Amino acid sequence: MSKTTDTHASRRGISRRTFAGGVAAAGILAGTAPFSIGRAQGAPLKVGVLLPRSGAQAGIGQDCHRGVEVTAGILKELGLPGLEIMNGDTETNVDVARARAERLISEGAQLLVGAFDSGQSTAIAQVAEQRGIPYVINIAAAPPITEQGYKFVFRNFHTAPMILGGAFATQKEIFAATGNAPKSVVFMHVNDTFGVSMQKGISAVMPKFEMPYKIADTIAYDPTARDLSVEVAKAKATGAEALLVVSRLNDAILLTRELVKQRWSPMAIMSMGPGWYEDQYLKALGKLADGPITSVPWYDPTKKVSKMLEAAIAKAYPDINTNTNHVYTFEALMIAADAYKRAGTAEPKALADAIRATNIKDNVSTGPGIQFDAKGQNDKLEITAIQNRGGKLVAVAPASASNAKPELPMKPYDKR
Amino acid sequence: MIKLLLAGVPRTGLLMLAILLALFVALPFFVSDYLVTVLFLILYFAFVGQAWNIMMGFAGQLSLGHALYVGLGAYAAAALYVHFGISPWIGLWASMGISAVAGAIIGFLAFRFGVGGVYFAILTIAFAEFARIGFDHFTWVDGSSGFFLPVANYTENDLWNLRGSTRMFYYLMLGMTVAALLACHALLRSRAGYYWLAIRESPEAAQALGINIFKYKMYAVVLSAAMTSLAGVIFAFFYNNLFPEQIFHISRSIELILAPIIGGVGTLAGPLVGAFLLTALAEGLREVMLQLGVDVPGVKQVFYGICLLLVVMFLPDGVWPPLSKLLGLDRKTPDREG
Repeated sequence: MSKTTDTHASRRGISRRTFAGGVAAAGILAGTAPFSIGRAQGAPLKVGVLLPRSGAQAGIGQDCHRGVEVTAGILKELGLPGLEIMNGDTETNVDVARARAERLISEGAQLLVGAFDSGQSTAIAQVAEQRGIPYVINIAAAPPITEQGYKFVFRNFHTAPMILGGAFATQKEIFAATGNAPKSVVFMHVNDTFGVSMQKGISAVMPKFEMPYKIADTIAYDPTARDLSVEVAKAKATGAEALLVVSRLNDAILLTRELVKQRWSPMAIMSMGPGWYEDQYLKALGKLADGPITSVPWYDPTKKVSKMLEAAIAKAYPDINTNTNHVYTFEALMIAADAYKRAGTAEPKALADAIRATNIKDNVSTGPGIQFDAKGQNDKLEITAIQNRGGKLVAVAPASASNAKPELPMKPYDKR
Repeated sequence: MIKLLLAGVPRTGLLMLAILLALFVALPFFVSDYLVTVLFLILYFAFVGQAWNIMMGFAGQLSLGHALYVGLGAYAAAALYVHFGISPWIGLWASMGISAVAGAIIGFLAFRFGVGGVYFAILTIAFAEFARIGFDHFTWVDGSSGFFLPVANYTENDLWNLRGSTRMFYYLMLGMTVAALLACHALLRSRAGYYWLAIRESPEAAQALGINIFKYKMYAVVLSAAMTSLAGVIFAFFYNNLFPEQIFHISRSIELILAPIIGGVGTLAGPLVGAFLLTALAEGLREVMLQLGVDVPGVKQVFYGICLLLVVMFLPDGVWPPLSKLLGLDRKTPDREG
C-alpha cells in the first residue's frame, strides 16, 4: 500500500515489535474494513489498482502502472483530491484478480481500478458488484462487461466494435485529407487469439464503411515466427498498393525488415493493433520505423491535460512515449478523484452515483470527454490515427484531435 | 461403506481430519471474504490435484494437459446454462461425459499404440492446445471473444443455478474436496487401486501377473478426466467468464499439478498439503512483504520456484511423506503414505 504523495516513507527502521504490531493492526483493519468504508472528505480516497504486473501481461501491466505513478502530481494541479493507491498484482490470472479484489476491499479500498484484460476485469467486476464498491475499468474491450446490468461498474475504454469502426473511419478521413487512397491492400495478421478475432471483426465491419480498397489477399502467420520472407514475398506478388496489418511487436519489426530487404515500399502501412507504434519498434528500426499509421485508442494531444500527462511521463520516464496504457489508467484515476470531489464522501453508493454523472471535458483521451451511458460505458470515445515520425508519434486523424497532417504515400524505404 | 472409507486410517489421522474439517467448516464465519476466496482456491487446487493424482500418482501416467478437462467441463456446463437454461447440476453430467470421452480418446491413442512416458505427456499437451485453438473459433461459445455467463447482484444464494456468494462456492468446493478424498481413499483400497499401483511400479510385471493394463490405465484416465471437469463447472460459475486462451493454456495445466507435486505425488493428503503450502504461504509471504513496505510484482512465482527447487532437492517424494512420519501417521496403506 502506498500513498501517491509519499510512497517510500515507511521502509526504514522496522523492529520485530513494530512488524508484529503492523501485522496485528493489518488484521484488525481487515476485520473492521466494512465499518470504515464511508470516510469523511478530507482523507484521500483509497483506490485499489489491479493490474497484471507479473505473468504473461507483465510488461503491459507495468506500463499501465507508469500511468498510476504520474497521477498524483497532475490531480493536484487540476485541483482534484489526492488518492491513496493500494496496488494489487493480478498475475495475469482471473483467479488471482478476483482474490486480489477481495483483499483490497477487505483492506479498505473504496474504489477499484483496472485491470487491462477482459477476463480479469470481469472477475473483478463481479466482486465489486457483490460488495457494492465502484469499479472503473481502465482497459478491457469485451462488450459483455457493460451489458450485465451492473450498478457499480464503469468502463472508460472502447469496446471491440468501437475500435474497429473507429479505425475504418480514421482511415477514410486520412484518404480524404491527402487525396490518396490505395485501391487494394494485403491483409496480414497474426494467427493468435487477438489476430483471428480482429480478422473476423474486420470481415464483418468493413463492408459497412465502403472502403476505397479491396483486400487482395489475407495472409495469416505465427506471431513467434523468426522469418516472414515467404509471407512478404506472397504479399508483394499480389501487386497490392498497401498493407493492412494486425501484428504484435516482434513480427512488426520482422515484417519491416523484410519489406526493406525485398525492396517493397507500399504506399501505406495501416495497423489496427500493437507493434508498429511501440517504443521498441521505433528504437529497433530508426528511420525505417517512420511512416506506418496505426488506428488505436489514444489521446488528443491538443488537450490541456494531455500536455500535462505527456510532460509528466517524459519527466518520469524520458525514454518512453506516452501511450494508451498510461492514458486510460490515468483517466480511470482521474474519474475516481473527480467523482470523490463531487460526491463529497467515499460512501460507495454516492460515489457510484457521482461516477455515473461524470462529465469531464478537460480530459486526455480522444473524444468530447468522459461521460457514461446507462450501462456504465463511455460510448463517446473516439479512435485516433497516429503516425511514426522521426522516432516520435503524431496524431493525424481525426483532424479535431491531431497535431500533424497525415503523410500518404509514406516515404519509400530506399529514399530515407 | 463407511467401514471401507475409513479402513486403514489411523485413529490419530481420523482425529486430525475431523479437526481440520471442523476448522474448514467454521473458518468462513470468522474471516473476511478475501480469506474465504483464498480458502476456496486452496480447496479448488486440492480437488484438481486429487483428480490429477489418480492418473499420475496412482496409475503412473503423466498428464501435462489437464487444463483440457477443466476447460471442457467449464464450457459444457456454461453453454448448456446460457443457451438452454439447464442447471449446472444437470450440465455437470454432460461435462463429465464430454471430458471422459476426451480422456478416453487420448488414452486409447496412447495406450493402444504404446505411447508412454514423456510422449504421453506431450500428447496430453497437444490435445489441450487443439482444444484452445478449436474453441478460439467455436462461435457457439463466442470463440476468442470470451464466453460470459449472465451475472447479477444476488441477494440470496441460488444453489440450483450456482448463482451466489463466495461462501456458497466455498462450501460446495469443501464438499467436493472431502468427497474426492474419500473416493480416492476407497479407490486405493479397491481392486482397481491395487492394479494401478502395480502398473505404476512396473507395467511389465503387472501384465505378467495377468492385469489388463490397457483397461486399468483407461479407467484411470477417464475417471481423472471426469473428476477434473467437475472443477471446471465450478470455475465457470464462480468466475462467470471463459476465454480459450486462459482456460486451456498450458500454464493452467502446470498450475493444476503443482499442489500434488509439492505435497507428494501418489499420496492422498499430498494435494491438500501442497495446495495449502502454495496458496496460503504465497499469500502470507506477499502480505508480510507488503507490511514491510515492499511491493514486488511476481513474488509469488518466485516463491513457487523456490518451493519446487527445495522439494526437488530435499523432499523428492513431496512434503507429506516426511510430515506424516513426523505426525505418526505413516502406517502401511496402499498408497505412499506408509
